[in-house]
Order: sequence, then C-alpha cells, then structure tokens
Amino acid sequence: MAPSREAVLDAMHDVIDPELGYNIVDIGLIYGLEVLDHSIQVTMTMTTPGCPAQDYIMAGVKDRGQRIPGIENVDIALVWDPPWSPQKMTPVAKEYFQIADDGDD
Amino acid sequence: MISNRLSRWTLLFFAVALLNFLVAQGVLISGLTWPAQSLSAPVTLIAVHLLTIGWLLLLMLGALFQFIPVITSRPLPSQTLTLVTLIAIELGLIGMVCGFLALNFANALLAHCLPVGGALVIVGVLLACYDIGVPLLKARPMSLPARLVLTGLAFLLLTVTLGLLLALALSVSGFAVYVAPLLAQGVAYHALAGLGGWFTLTAMGVSYKLLPMFTLAPEERGRAGEAVLQLGATGFALAVAAGLIRAWHPAPLLSILSWLGDALVALAIGIYLWDVVRIFRSRKRAVIELHNKAAVGAFIMLGGTTLLAIVLMSLGVFAAHVGVFVFLVLFGWLSGLGLTQLYKIVPFLTWLGRFGQQLGRGPVPRVQDLVDEAHSYPWFVIYFIAVLLAALAGFAGSAFVFQAGVGLSALATIGLAFEYWRAWRAYYPRLRPSKPPVPPFKPGEGIIHGQH
Repeated sequence: MAPSREAVLDAMHDVIDPELGYNIVDIGLIYGLEVLDHSIQVTMTMTTPGCPAQDYIMAGVKDRGQRIPGIENVDIALVWDPPWSPQKMTPVAKEYFQIADDGDD
Repeated sequence: MISNRLSRWTLLFFAVALLNFLVAQGVLISGLTWPAQSLSAPVTLIAVHLLTIGWLLLLMLGALFQFIPVITSRPLPSQTLTLVTLIAIELGLIGMVCGFLALNFANALLAHCLPVGGALVIVGVLLACYDIGVPLLKARPMSLPARLVLTGLAFLLLTVTLGLLLALALSVSGFAVYVAPLLAQGVAYHALAGLGGWFTLTAMGVSYKLLPMFTLAPEERGRAGEAVLQLGATGFALAVAAGLIRAWHPAPLLSILSWLGDALVALAIGIYLWDVVRIFRSRKRAVIELHNKAAVGAFIMLGGTTLLAIVLMSLGVFAAHVGVFVFLVLFGWLSGLGLTQLYKIVPFLTWLGRFGQQLGRGPVPRVQDLVDEAHSYPWFVIYFIAVLLAALAGFAGSAFVFQAGVGLSALATIGLAFEYWRAWRAYYPRLRPSKPPVPPFKPGEGIIHGQH
C-alpha cells in the first residue's frame, strides 16, 4: 500500500539544507509533492541557483524517499521559478531563524 | 556519487596558501625587511610575492574553482587542470624566490630562476583563466559577481605580463635597455593592477554572491553594484594605463588621468562599502555567523586604508608611506577577508565531501556543527589588532614593534589554521555527539499550505 502524502512529507524532514542547518520541508524548498502508487514526484528548488550542495540534497531526497516502505521510485523536478526566498519558510522555521513574516514572497 | 559541483583540489590550494602565508610572515618577523624598506629590495620582493602569489593568488584561485560553478551553474572544464595550476604556480613561486635571492648575491645561475619561475606562474595563471573563464563566458545572463570576476581575471593577466617583463629586465642582461622606464616606475603599476584590479575587484565579486547568500539578503545590487564594477574597472585601468604610459612619455595630462583613475577607485570602494552595509541591514537571517561578523574587520580595513591613501596623497607624502599602505591592503583587507571567508568555505567543503553522501540515509551534522565560533572568535580579534599594531609601528618607524605585530598576526593565523584543520577533521561533531544534528520539528507544521 502506498504511503500518504503527509507521511512522505514527514519523512522528508530528515533531509537538511546543510548550510542553513534546517530541514528542507520547513525551509520551503519543496514546492510540490505527489504520491502515485509506488512512486513520488517531487518539485523542488534550492536556496540559490548553483548551490554547491544541490546534488547532495537531491540525492538525499531520493534516498530518503526510497527508504519509505511502499515507495520504489522518486522523481525530482528542480525548478527556479518562482525563486526561493526566506518568506517561503514555514512559521516554525521563520521563528527559528528569527525572520519577520512580511508576507512578501 | 561525488558531485561535479565540488572542486576536488580547493582544500589543497588553501593548505598550500596558508603555509606560504606563514612563511611570508616568518620573513617579516625575521626583520630582514619591513615597510620602510624599498619595494624593489630583494627580500621585500620575496615577502611580497610569497604573500601575493603564494598566499592570496592560491587562496583566490582555490576559492574561485569552487565558486565559479555556483555563480554560473556550470561545472569547471577540467578538475585535473586545477591541480596542474597549483603545481605550476607553487613551483614557479619557488623559482622566483630563488631568483630574488640571486639579486642579493649576484648569482648568475640562480638569476635565471626568476624568469623561469615567472613563466611557470604564468602557465598556472593561464590554465586557471581557462578553467574559470570558460564557464564565466558561457554563463547567460552574466551576473554582477561573474562580471566582476571576469574583469579581475583581465587585470590578473595584465599583472603577470608586467611581472614577467620586470623579471626579464632584472635577470636577462640586455633586456633592461628596452624596458628601463618600466624598471623605474613599473613596480608600482604592477602592484596596483594586482592588488586593485585583480584581487580587490575579484574579492568584491565573490563577496557580492557570498554575503547575501549566507545572510539571506537580496542578491540584486541594482545601480550600486553596477557603479562599483564600472567605476572600479575604469578607475584601475585608467590609473595603471596612465601611469605606465607616463613612464615612457611624461605629460601633465597623464598625471591628471592617473589622479582621475585613483579618484574613481576611491569612489567605487566607497559605494561598495555602503552597499555592504545595505546587505547587512537588509538580511533576513537575524544571527550573523562568525565568518561574516569577522569580515567586518576586513571591510573596516578597506575603508580605513582608502581614507589613509587619500590623506597621504593630499599631504603629498604617499610615497614615503607606500610600504605601510601596501601592508594594510595585503594584511588588513585581502588577508583579513580571506581568513574570515575560509572559516565558512572549509567547513562547507568538508561537509560536502564527508557528509553529503549520507544525507537522507541517516543523521548528519550541520555545517555550523563543524566549527566552534566562541573558540575561534578571539583569533580574529587578535589578528586585526595585530595588523593595526604593525601598521602603526610602520608609521612610527619602530621595526621591533612591527615585527611583534606581524608575529602576533602569525600566531592568530596559526590559531585559525588549527580551527580550519579541526573543521576538516570533523573534530567538534565527535566532541559533541549528543547535540541534535537537525533542529527538532513538530510533525504537521512542516506542510507548506497552498503550494501543492
């Protein structure tokens, strides 16, 4: 049986952006996530184009996804539009980084 | 999988560069040379080239080999060439040092080491320009940091060309006749092209990417960034070109152009520093990490040294204190910025190399966990105080206090090098294994509403 979308998102909290030192879900790097049968389709971005950790973060998402029971395949689409900004963080991450929520993406 | 975004030899560049920096500091501590001595004195040339080629050039190239894929989103054409670059430049530097020693002892055989060493350095620089220049030229659109680095590379080529001409004039009999004016005044413009056009413009380019990236500030620098590039590039080009032509054909107009070039450079530096303050003020990340906090010391040194040059030129005594000015540019601004940025780059590269492949497979430390900021902070304070002390001693004419100041800066460099080594060895995560590798999260709060 395929896992729920929420279960997959919770699992993705194990993958961090090493420089910011926080999980990629709360930072707002995951723009979209769909669970289809035994595969996951992730649409994500990086904090900056050309990020040196890009390949490792994407490999981390793939590895973590494939470790979820019932998941065999993880497809990742890396996008730069819309560009990431700190306003994409969740309230819990904004609080951790002491970022004011100005509502501007 | 090893990412092609990870520069394989950058950490080796840094290690060799730091070693050269310590050797250069050793030469200054020995008292064989100091800022009051002529820039053309053989031991001064040894110290200056250990600093500019051995330390700053290798540091900058090592950083650029990692940095260029970040600003262009393109890999380097060849990782192997970067290692060849390192070997060529280091061997060339050793040859140059032998050549400078020959000037002291009038040894004809050793004298040939200077142009041979210089040629090897040029080979290394050309290889580096290929590796760095190709992705830069292919990048579209070309960002402000990319254009600043590209302009810096053009000045690097000019610097090494002038350097080779000077080396030939000093060591090959008969050649000096053709470039006699260059021998008399060229050293100053060789230094200006290198310290200003190459190092300073490139450092500005690198900082324009890294500062916003690590402080979460807007990267777009608008008209201020454009002004820094255009005024800086034009200013350095004008000052160097007018100065060189004046060496052959003295004319009042050239003096005015040279002065105009200096003024444009000062304006560019002023706008750059104002823009750096804007970046810090507009940052989203409340806590400033130590590498950026300490970099403020280097920015103050850049501003202070520029103001000092303006005052000395206004008083007509710049030539008498040019040694102290060069010392402040080398130690305060460029080395200060280099040491502070290494404090971020070394742990970052270490993390990528050691822990990157474990991501998603189990707990990993954060980049911040590889350093202990409270432990390292005093070394940066000591370093900048030491540089200030040595500079003041240079002005006051106290060679002993100058040596003591450089000695203190060497101590701080060793302390920081030890911290870089600890980061590379992942010493602190082993020391504090109980620290949670990732900040705890509350399941459910991490879902990004309305984006799926």
